[in-house]
Amino acid sequence: MKIAVVVQRYGQAINGGAELHARYIAEHLARHGQVEVLTTCSTDYVTWRNELEPGVEQVNGVPVRRFKVKHERDPLVFGKRSDRVFEQLHSLGDELDWLDAEGPTSPALIDYITKHASDYDYCLFFSYRYYHAYYGARASRGRAILVPTAERDETIGLSIFQPLFRGVRAIMYNSPEERAMIHAVAGNESVPGVVVGIGSDVPNNPQAARFRQKYNIRGPFAVYVGRIDQNKGCKELFEFFDGYLKDPAGKLSLVLIGNTLLPIPEHKRIRHLGFLDDTDKFEAMAAADALIMPSYYESLSMVALEAWALGRPVLANGKCDVLKGQCLRSNAGLFYETLGEFIGTLEAIEQNRWLAGSLGRNGRQYFKDNYDWPVIERKYLDMFERLKNEVPGPGGDPLPGWFDRRRQDLPAAQDVLAKLPKGPAGRHG
Amino acid sequence: MPDFNVRSDSVNVEQIMEQIRGRIREKRGVDYTEQQIRELAAVKLEKFLDPRGVRSDLLDQFRKAQPAYEPPELPNFAFEDATLFESHRAPIRWIRKLLMPLLKLLFNPNPLIQALNIQSRLNTINAERDARREAARRQMDQLYYELVHNLVVETTRTGIEVKNLKMRVESIASRLEFNERRARALEGAVVYRSTEPDEPRPQRPAPQIPQPRQQPPPRPQQQQPRYTPPQPSYTAPVPVAPPTQTAIAPPAAVTEQPPQAQGAGVPGEGPGQRSRRRRRRRGRRGGGAAATIMGAPGSAQPGSTGAAGTVESVDQMDAIDRMDDDGSPDSEEMHDAAAEQVEQTGIAEADHAASTAEPPAVDQAPVEHAHVEQPRVELVAPLPAAPSATESSSVAPAEPAAAPPPARDPADHDPQ
Repeated sequence: MKIAVVVQRYGQAINGGAELHARYIAEHLARHGQVEVLTTCSTDYVTWRNELEPGVEQVNGVPVRRFKVKHERDPLVFGKRSDRVFEQLHSLGDELDWLDAEGPTSPALIDYITKHASDYDYCLFFSYRYYHAYYGARASRGRAILVPTAERDETIGLSIFQPLFRGVRAIMYNSPEERAMIHAVAGNESVPGVVVGIGSDVPNNPQAARFRQKYNIRGPFAVYVGRIDQNKGCKELFEFFDGYLKDPAGKLSLVLIGNTLLPIPEHKRIRHLGFLDDTDKFEAMAAADALIMPSYYESLSMVALEAWALGRPVLANGKCDVLKGQCLRSNAGLFYETLGEFIGTLEAIEQNRWLAGSLGRNGRQYFKDNYDWPVIERKYLDMFERLKNEVPGPGGDPLPGWFDRRRQDLPAAQDVLAKLPKGPAGRHG
Repeated sequence: MPDFNVRSDSVNVEQIMEQIRGRIREKRGVDYTEQQIRELAAVKLEKFLDPRGVRSDLLDQFRKAQPAYEPPELPNFAFEDATLFESHRAPIRWIRKLLMPLLKLLFNPNPLIQALNIQSRLNTINAERDARREAARRQMDQLYYELVHNLVVETTRTGIEVKNLKMRVESIASRLEFNERRARALEGAVVYRSTEPDEPRPQRPAPQIPQPRQQPPPRPQQQQPRYTPPQPSYTAPVPVAPPTQTAIAPPAAVTEQPPQAQGAGVPGEGPGQRSRRRRRRRGRRGGGAAATIMGAPGSAQPGSTGAAGTVESVDQMDAIDRMDDDGSPDSEEMHDAAAEQVEQTGIAEADHAASTAEPPAVDQAPVEHAHVEQPRVELVAPLPAAPSATESSSVAPAEPAAAPPPARDPADHDPQ
């Protein structure tokens, strides 16, 4: 079996959610077949600048074939086109222009897929929202399997992606919420799909004490791991934690791990450690009383899964359906939507050891049952086996003609998004 | 106050969240989201303003009722010198032109034409001005409607905040009242603090709240200290109580001394016992004096019956002591009766302190200075207190969380 993993960026130093997801999947599937990664020469998801050499190289034993990006992203153009397609009545051509402006525009990669798709049994496309997935899935029709990593944002409301969701051979969802959302927007229930998610190589015995000693952290603390950004809900986290600090009953500190795009509030109980390697990150999570996940938009929180794997409870933003659904299904995390709930839930975890322990144990079991690597690998292999026995469908809709692409009749993406069903999926997904 | 019930066999996150939300509602009142406030505003408006024909969804109604303004199509006021003689038929135009000198011979049409021309220009100017004014007025109307709409929403929000603040004030008032009662009870209990009979301690202000140092410090996960009733550090010279009793003995422990030993009719009671008892009483009076000297509000308050009763009893004791010196059996009986009264007063005070202090402590937010470890309950653990009214006073009632998630940066629509 030969599999192509197609992703916008790839590398050991690239820690974006979808990219890490793709790398983990590639490395684990490489144990069961021949895997080749097709990607771009970019490492920066904002500029898509060509920073790596095109050609083939090995990353952790997996061959990686890189292609040049045609042009970098112009933030002004991208912003204007985003406003156009997200907020106004627009045409299909506008959406295609937006896709081109978003990047990474790599016609060379698409050409390669067009010519060599038949060399692979299946092509796994990660992140539906990028150029490579939209055009690549069309080029490898009949072999394309999509890992959408879709979040509840305006992009899901764009019309160009609906045929994509209907035209691929199969879809590997990250969560039941993501599946429900894509079904609602694209009506692709007939496309084979399974909720898989992603595993994580969590160490068996992380040294929490070593972390405390190394970073001179004493006392109980909650940890946030990830990019410190407003889009990740960190601004709200700071506001809420400020409210928590005013409550004398609360004793937790907040430890922040990750690169920051926001100013960190000055307080003796808020520590920012910057970007840490995996060892320190896992030890920090093991030493923490809880992991806080304030993000509004997640297709699957790997950090939350890692915290659960380490037996730590998670406090998630209840406005994110996926996180809320994960907490409910796992019975391993609490969630908040208001300041009062934030303080109440954090104190419940902090002051009730039994509750924190039970949540952590449930989380460990939830991870083991659903996100352990053998489970993940088995789901992929089962899907490959299933597709082998099924006749490929007709594929996606053809691209409309010149006039149709210019007809201004597509609703604003945010209006489409507003009509999608909300809320977490049921307890059993 | 509901407890945070978590059973060992299962954790139900939904149930826990319900309990936490219930606690928050109880503690802080209901937290409304922006959407809920708008809905409430709509309901209120419909309730109060509908009779006058004003709708709650003012802005929407306004927009529906008044579609986008289009300036009216103005009539053609043009009037030139040839207008009078125009015709779409060429022969007629030619005939009129031919007969024009004849017409001008009969009368001069030029002033008429000029007047009409001026009038037409004036009409055009007025119509355009009216159209501009109408457009501006409509824009202002929309602005006013928006303003009124926002004012209604804000008024509703303010109403909710006022309600929450009222609840908070009530909570603070009840806590204040409780603290005052507790302080009075503590002062009353301190009155009976005795000193060592042979080593009279210097009189110094009694601590406001006793801190039982004998207990281990509370573990961090069980930081739910409860208020412990005041414990007068009374140490009886004769039967020495076990250490545990001295550590956490309530004031009522004073009565644990065998009453027979103080009975006047008990045979074999020697002068030594009597003098010890007297010293003990004096010690008590000394404690009361200390409380008086330090000017404790509870002890000097006129309305405080306990304190007044204590002073009276002490005076009575002084008189008895004077009588005691003659050594007569009658005086001994009277002395013991008075001593009994004083002790009963002390017991009543201590009981009052215990009864007023103990029950609300369960619901109170943790008191920092009362470092008494709560016995840990594994299966039914109490929910940690939500921010108390005083503690959360700096937190706005309308929470920032009510706002919807911020829109993404248009330049950053990436998932990473």
